[in-house]
Amino acid sequence: MKSIGIWGWVATAILFVLLLLAPQLAPRLHLALTICTDVLLFAIAAMAVNLLLGYTGVLPFGNAAFFGLGAYGAGLSIQNFHVGFITSLAIGTLAGVVGALLIGPFLLRRRGIYFALLMIAFGQVFYFIAYRFTNVTGGEDGMNFTRPALEGFGIHLQDAGFYYAILLIFTLVVAGFWLLVRSPFGRTLVAIKQNEVRARYLGLNTDRFIFVALLISAAIEGLAGACYGLSIMFAYPLLLDWHQSGDIVLMTILGGAGTIFGPLVGAIIYVIGEDILSTALPWWQIPLGALFVACVLGFPKGLLGTALDLLPGRKNRIEPGHDLDFAAPIIADRETTR
Amino acid sequence: MSDLLLEAKGVGKHFGGVHAVEDVSLRVHAGSINAIIGPNGAGKTTFFNTLSGFYFPDAGHVSFIGVDVTRAPSYDRVRMGMGRTFQTSSVFPELTVYENLAVGIQSADNLSFRFRTLSRAQRATLDQKVDRLLGFVGLGAVAHRPLAELAHGSQRLCEIAMSLSTDPKLVLLDEPMAGLAQAETSRVVSVIRKLHAELGLTVLFVEHNMRVVLSLAQQITVLDRGRVLAAGTPAEISANAEVREAYIGKEVIEHV
Amino acid sequence: MAHIAPEIFNGLILGAFYAVVAIGLSLIMNLTGTINMAHGSFMTLAGYLAFALIGAGTNYWYALAIAPLIAVVIGILMERTMIRPLYRRDPVYSLLLTFGISLIAEEAFRLIWGPNGVPFSPPKVLSGSISLGFTTFPVYRLFIAGALVVIIIALVIFLQHTRYGLRLRAAVQDREMISALGTNTQLLYMINFGLGILIAGIAGVLAAGMLSLNPQSGNSLLMPAFVTVIVGGMGSLYGAIVGGLLIGLAISLTTLYLPAASEISMYVIMAVVLLVRPRGLFGEEGIFG
Repeated sequence: MKSIGIWGWVATAILFVLLLLAPQLAPRLHLALTICTDVLLFAIAAMAVNLLLGYTGVLPFGNAAFFGLGAYGAGLSIQNFHVGFITSLAIGTLAGVVGALLIGPFLLRRRGIYFALLMIAFGQVFYFIAYRFTNVTGGEDGMNFTRPALEGFGIHLQDAGFYYAILLIFTLVVAGFWLLVRSPFGRTLVAIKQNEVRARYLGLNTDRFIFVALLISAAIEGLAGACYGLSIMFAYPLLLDWHQSGDIVLMTILGGAGTIFGPLVGAIIYVIGEDILSTALPWWQIPLGALFVACVLGFPKGLLGTALDLLPGRKNRIEPGHDLDFAAPIIADRETTR
Repeated sequence: MSDLLLEAKGVGKHFGGVHAVEDVSLRVHAGSINAIIGPNGAGKTTFFNTLSGFYFPDAGHVSFIGVDVTRAPSYDRVRMGMGRTFQTSSVFPELTVYENLAVGIQSADNLSFRFRTLSRAQRATLDQKVDRLLGFVGLGAVAHRPLAELAHGSQRLCEIAMSLSTDPKLVLLDEPMAGLAQAETSRVVSVIRKLHAELGLTVLFVEHNMRVVLSLAQQITVLDRGRVLAAGTPAEISANAEVREAYIGKEVIEHV
Repeated sequence: MAHIAPEIFNGLILGAFYAVVAIGLSLIMNLTGTINMAHGSFMTLAGYLAFALIGAGTNYWYALAIAPLIAVVIGILMERTMIRPLYRRDPVYSLLLTFGISLIAEEAFRLIWGPNGVPFSPPKVLSGSISLGFTTFPVYRLFIAGALVVIIIALVIFLQHTRYGLRLRAAVQDREMISALGTNTQLLYMINFGLGILIAGIAGVLAAGMLSLNPQSGNSLLMPAFVTVIVGGMGSLYGAIVGGLLIGLAISLTTLYLPAASEISMYVIMAVVLLVRPRGLFGEEGIFG
């Protein structure tokens, strides 16, 4: 992993200063602060996807299940047990992990499109459970809940206070992510992404690594979902739907999978873009879809990835997924079939 | 009689209706260099794959160091002491040579599944081990270049070094000379010789290049259409009429 | 038993739909590794096109024939311009591309025909019901059932018993060999995609008369089709058929006894099948058949 150099640190510092000043800057840009909050928490969700897509080489198209589980986890714990702010976030995170523990065993030993297919399908189970079990989840109408007070302080975080809380969480996730990808575990994931067979022939149980990566990703995704639930004080089934998954994966790709801040860039483009476009064009999904298509075809490394490529001495950037040479649909690594 | 390191008994593998490998048996003794040869389509790579765990056989058994590994996953076999290279070099193309070797070493030292960065001491040990491997195959000069930028010969050497990074007892090389230019071939041959002579490793390789096979191998197994045609020393194999008929040209034998 | 006969029949029809859609999806997935998230959109497109054609005065039968063909043309255009460049790359790209297309399509449908769907009634000659002794069935449903059976049989014959079908199955097995033997693989991919869309288109027009026709109607058939592919086994034609029927029945019967669990029943089946037989009921490694 190439170090980012002095300019990288400078850029990061500038970024965080801007994020700290967002409550002051946003009104000048005619942006509601809630949009800025949404940008951050979707960036967290996209980072969860990035871990799998950009660093492990796995296609996690059912990730919204964990996102939605996080929102519902937070909401249900608040509604039924009146837990505090941090506890609700913790429960949401845990809900994401539980979801991954349930689905994970079915996904092991499957790769490529079969993995993606299974994950999409299993993701939908949670959608239908949320949709149908109206007594618990409020069904199609979703469930409302209040934003609880911060434990120990007794204050309710609103507006700027809430924004800073999310910014803190975002910073912690970024730091954790950075440490993770530099750790031996993270570097092993990158190796697995480039050549899983070779990784196995170096004695590595790749299924175990991928499973743990899935758990970590689901935790981050659940945390993001819980944040979102607390932000809108509402949880609804569509948060778990494959359309939501697609949106988050898109943010990752738009910004640049395989980079640390790519997800943030993608979230900025998507969330702010959606905000601006949807008021201007009722049919804004069309240009959004067109953006998807253009990005997938022309800018596979995303905005940040492509930009970093242009910097001198940074030629070998890691792309999402692998470049397959007319490979057959990978159903399963031959040797992992029973 | 040296220890039996690897043994295959009656191994069979079919795909759909095609029997790629049928009733193949093989014995590899510790400290020897062995080769598997045969015409194209003889099932050499398929057989190799059942030995190393890429496929599981439909019939027969494979045992390694006395343990039945017929259905053991590849990573377990590697941990038991198998190393392997592939016909098309299977490496981490975007990592540097150094990093390619580090993955295996880290795995062997059980440091892969670790969330804290390596301590300074661990780092130093890693550097030392990588350097040793680099020196062995002669890639020290290009240690920090991404593997994809190097010539095929260097990539192959790196792959061989990677197969050593997990401290194997047996190294399986699948057509190590495949796709290499003439000059690169001799480098690889000398490394293979060193594997046996300097490191005392047991080697089993598949090869087409008869000159190399007859000069390197102590034991040769000939496969034809999925079955064992003959097995023996180079002299025995060269003299074997059936083998000659199958595919060895007379001139090649006389040259040795 | 008689009183659930309608549910069983409906379940089988639904299942036949799933099977047909699953086969179309599989054709595209197995040959090129593309998960076509826009498959549902093509079904909806064909439905709307038929609706427009009928509204413009065409009779139902012509619409049934022409609408899918128009969808195929659009589909092939899409394959050539947007999906083809992605074949070499990781499947995530084509998945996202088709997902993007499905977003555009859904919004376009909403824009052109409104968000609430349009009424699509079957032709006069197919309306009404037939009494079958213990129960009555709508004629249109019988027609759909028949049409789906015909389509399935045609696909089986094509894939198992024609030279072209053989070539397709061979290509799934070994792409390099096929192109070494002189087959134009790009053309094969294109035709394969077109075939998948044709099936989707016909299913879409048929479904329009039985289920509702709105911007999301195709997508509601997409998920069960995915589950069918998983349950039946990727790459298996018979698996898609059996899997589809099984799931159709399960959903239909569950709706009768436990409506809240109707969609979940198919996922339960999927989970059970995967635990017992991870490849799916008839799954084999990459072979279509």
